[in-house]
Amino acid sequence: MITKEMTKEVTERIARLREKVLSAKPGVCTERARFYTEVYRENEDQPVIIKRALALKMTLEKMTIFIDEGELIVGNQSSAHRAAPIFPEYAVDWLPEEMDELDQRPGDAFYITEEHKKELSEIAAWWKGKVLWDRGRALMSQELRDLQDSAIIKATGNLSSGDAHIAVDFYKILEVGISGYFKEIELHHKQVDRSKMEGIRKDKFYTALAMGLESFQSFIRRYRDMAVYLSKETNDPEREKELQKIADNCGVIAEQPPQDFYQALQLVYFVQLILQIESNGHSVSLGRLDQYLYPFYKKDLLAGLISEDFASELLESTWIKLLSVNKIRPWSHTRFSAGGPLYQNVTIGGQTTDGKDAVNELSFLVLESVGNMKLTQPNLSVRFHKGISEEFMMACMKVIEKGFGMPSFNNDEVVIPELINLGVEAEDAYNYSAIGCIEIAVPGKWGYRCTGMSFLNLMRVFLATLHDGYDSQSGHTFLKGMGKFSDFKTYEDLFKAWQHQIRYYTRKTVEIDTAVDTALEEQVPDILCSTFVDSCIARGKTIKEGGSKYDFVSGLQVGIANLGNSLAAIKKLVFEEKRISKEELLEALENNFEGKEGEKIRQLLLNFAPKYGNDDDYVDLLLKDAYMEFIEELKNYRTTRHGRGPIGCRYYAGTSSISANVPSGAVVPATPDGRKAFTPVAEGSSPSSGTDLLGPTAVFKSVSKLPTEEIMGGVLLNQKLSPATIAKDGDKQKLVSIIRTFFAELKGWNVQYNIVSRETLLAAQKDPEKYRDLVVRIAGYSAFFTTLSPDTQDDIIARTEHTL
Amino acid sequence: MIFNIQRFSTHDGDGIRTLIFYKGCPLRCQWCSNPESHSFGYSIMYDQTLCKRFGDCTLAEPAAFELNDGKGVDIRRREVNQPLNLKDVCASKALVLTGDDLSVDDLMTEIEKDVPFYKDDGGVTLSGGEPLSQDQDLILLLKRLKERKISTSMETSLHVSWARIERCIGMVGTFLVDLKHTDKEKFRHYILGDAGLVMRNLEKLAYFGAKVVVRIPVIPGFNHSLPEIQQMVDKVSTISGIEEIHFLPYHTFGVEKYKMLGMEYEFGTDKQVHESELELYVQYAQSRGFRTKIGG
Repeated sequence: MITKEMTKEVTERIARLREKVLSAKPGVCTERARFYTEVYRENEDQPVIIKRALALKMTLEKMTIFIDEGELIVGNQSSAHRAAPIFPEYAVDWLPEEMDELDQRPGDAFYITEEHKKELSEIAAWWKGKVLWDRGRALMSQELRDLQDSAIIKATGNLSSGDAHIAVDFYKILEVGISGYFKEIELHHKQVDRSKMEGIRKDKFYTALAMGLESFQSFIRRYRDMAVYLSKETNDPEREKELQKIADNCGVIAEQPPQDFYQALQLVYFVQLILQIESNGHSVSLGRLDQYLYPFYKKDLLAGLISEDFASELLESTWIKLLSVNKIRPWSHTRFSAGGPLYQNVTIGGQTTDGKDAVNELSFLVLESVGNMKLTQPNLSVRFHKGISEEFMMACMKVIEKGFGMPSFNNDEVVIPELINLGVEAEDAYNYSAIGCIEIAVPGKWGYRCTGMSFLNLMRVFLATLHDGYDSQSGHTFLKGMGKFSDFKTYEDLFKAWQHQIRYYTRKTVEIDTAVDTALEEQVPDILCSTFVDSCIARGKTIKEGGSKYDFVSGLQVGIANLGNSLAAIKKLVFEEKRISKEELLEALENNFEGKEGEKIRQLLLNFAPKYGNDDDYVDLLLKDAYMEFIEELKNYRTTRHGRGPIGCRYYAGTSSISANVPSGAVVPATPDGRKAFTPVAEGSSPSSGTDLLGPTAVFKSVSKLPTEEIMGGVLLNQKLSPATIAKDGDKQKLVSIIRTFFAELKGWNVQYNIVSRETLLAAQKDPEKYRDLVVRIAGYSAFFTTLSPDTQDDIIARTEHTL
Repeated sequence: MIFNIQRFSTHDGDGIRTLIFYKGCPLRCQWCSNPESHSFGYSIMYDQTLCKRFGDCTLAEPAAFELNDGKGVDIRRREVNQPLNLKDVCASKALVLTGDDLSVDDLMTEIEKDVPFYKDDGGVTLSGGEPLSQDQDLILLLKRLKERKISTSMETSLHVSWARIERCIGMVGTFLVDLKHTDKEKFRHYILGDAGLVMRNLEKLAYFGAKVVVRIPVIPGFNHSLPEIQQMVDKVSTISGIEEIHFLPYHTFGVEKYKMLGMEYEFGTDKQVHESELELYVQYAQSRGFRTKIGG
């Protein structure tokens, strides 16, 4: 095992490429939009899957491609670094509306030329009424549309950007190569019975799949030709050799399986890239890269074909390429995904299918190279298990110490048994990976959106519970309640009213999901993505039609800690101690704790009621009970793929709520935990800012009292430590030690760290230019701090910093 | 009486520990960073930055509290009739009654919470104040911890009668002995204590085979000089059985608390000692055969 210190300098080439992508101003590229519009316009008679195959073909064959000086891994998503392609078939109305203000956004600004604006306006005009967004809204009942508009349930991201959140089967891609899929498709295509309706549909499906693969090949061959051309142009003999190798790589992988590590990595990157040209969804993930690439690496290493240093350089090149991929979202969605993340996850570590430690030399190299780059992509996750070596954990600590929030930990000890319990075959369960942030799926066998269909704003539901079902923000009473808070005689009355409300809203999240899923299935079927997911080819179905082997999804519940703290405050201070009367509390909430009396109530709520995150059963168990109402209700529902092939087709809970705590809080009035109106709610499953006063072990204990095995969409815990606290090896060992307890004994689900001092963050707020590459951890992913809106920046600064 | 329980402490004893801070101390070190630990009874701490002038303190103890013209309240601590009247009266916790009469059961409940994190080397550290000045409850707690097989350390100045120490031998895993000075004059002047008592107790404790780690707080203007540290290290080296010396650099984290207690921070300097200034001391101690550590 590798034991060297992780202090290797990056090469001059890598430093240059990194800087180039970092300094590229985010823009947009209209090429894809142009091609898709042209094809859709001229092929209105064709079924949607053929339209999409043709549009993909035109894009891959005509879009601008380039190979930058010094690049080793090639392939670009659009005509320039960080220029986001446009996906008009998903949603377009927002573009002309927001176009002129894109460069004025408080966070995640985009810079767009007048010429592009003109073209996009024309494109948008053609698509009006034809896009996913419109269809999704049309499929919803008025009630569901009102619920969406009320912001109690948010699913706009799926309608404007599609779903993704998937990793494809890289093991198979590397084994059979692109050509291998042709054979399989042909085999099934031949058996299609065109006398049946289903046969007609399948015929088009297989035709589209083959067309998609051909387009993919053409795309790769274009890079081969460009590399050949450039190799003849260059005067630098070293570069000439590099370009020849690039040409050689592309030539091989366009036709057959990769022959070496370099080719394998290039192919993996091409697949990753192309999925993000085909589809607008994010969190397209790379799965267990240290596992499927290891045989190639080991073979090359033994044969003396590659050095560790060169392998690192290739990995670093790939990470820079991942950063060059960009995405533009409507402002409403951007606020939930602050920092423009693509959430391209790479997962390392974990166990092999026989339960042994899967960490290998490549795991260390991936870890180290991601640490060297300190970028926001890939989003690196480490699968923890009991038998993981101290050495690897210490290597992780050294990367965590760098302060850019990676790696994040997932826990095999919870995930694997629970997956098996849900019906996943053991071999698959042992092969799970993180997708996007912390959510999980079995790569290449799982449907889209293992998490993140819709966001449910728990505190809005809770406030409605206090007001007989009335939602003050929208003016609607979506469900008549069980009386007003002032009518409740006991805490049990309150809890019953909560039960009544939350079960209704839970059902509504599923109804919205179902409408969105139906629209996605009809409007934007993915061809290549379906090709690379088991068992779409065999079943003749896209993933959305039920092609995948497994299908489990979760929504995201926002405001976990606030819910527990509010319940505890009411139970203790109102019902038990009677220190605050019901009327006083309601009045204080209504007035946002204004005035001296209001402020006094707020102080009592803050200081004299137990808070989640302090290992206090009083509040921790109230929270669990309240959350279980949602979880139990959710078990009653099935996804649109139910009965159509996949195992599962069930929903479970999830708290990997990205930066949603800020915009979700911005629509919630004052709450009984002492939180003021319209300020952020708590992030993920983390305690509310400034309320966890007993240090990280108490937080671990509180979090682990949640029903973690039921929250397979992720139990997100973000902890902030001051840099001094893990500066010494001894301190790192202690942190490793408590993480081991949290995972192995307490069955924690996830933990991730922000190790940036408050001073640094404040300085970066003042002087953003100097801190352009400062990366911080948000819920589940890392983002460039200075690209975040001031609200999100303040929220990150406010989170409690623990010292050891 | 307890004034704080600190979980996940990593600097006072090995591994991950829960620190129990006892209230009450026979010494008065001028640089003390826990001034609320001095008295054996309740302490009234007032943080004006949190004060919202709700005035509940003036209702609870009218003679002692008065809203002033400025941002807070004026306090006359001597006029407090019954400190318990002040418990939890202040909504914003600007005014806090420090000190909790926790039973051994209460303490065990808190300790149990972090047991999963202790592993082989972590456990409980009793600190203060001066834990050895506590009454019988301390012994009961030590017994319970021993039964529960939780490792224990105790931070102590040993500035107590030998009898108080003797009853703890065999019950405390490691004594972390705060050795402030060996010079009698300085000890008396700065700490109001007897250096001889500490050294005699230290010798006896080592003689009885207790595991002892000597900890020297390095205080500018008091003992922060090579000759003085050498003298202390030399004295310790005459005692057999002591193998480890820690140097704790002076810090001023506690200064704000003096204000909150209505006390003056009389110790002159606010200049913290940086770890790098201890390098020579560490080298010297090592040359005399000690294992060393900076910080706890």
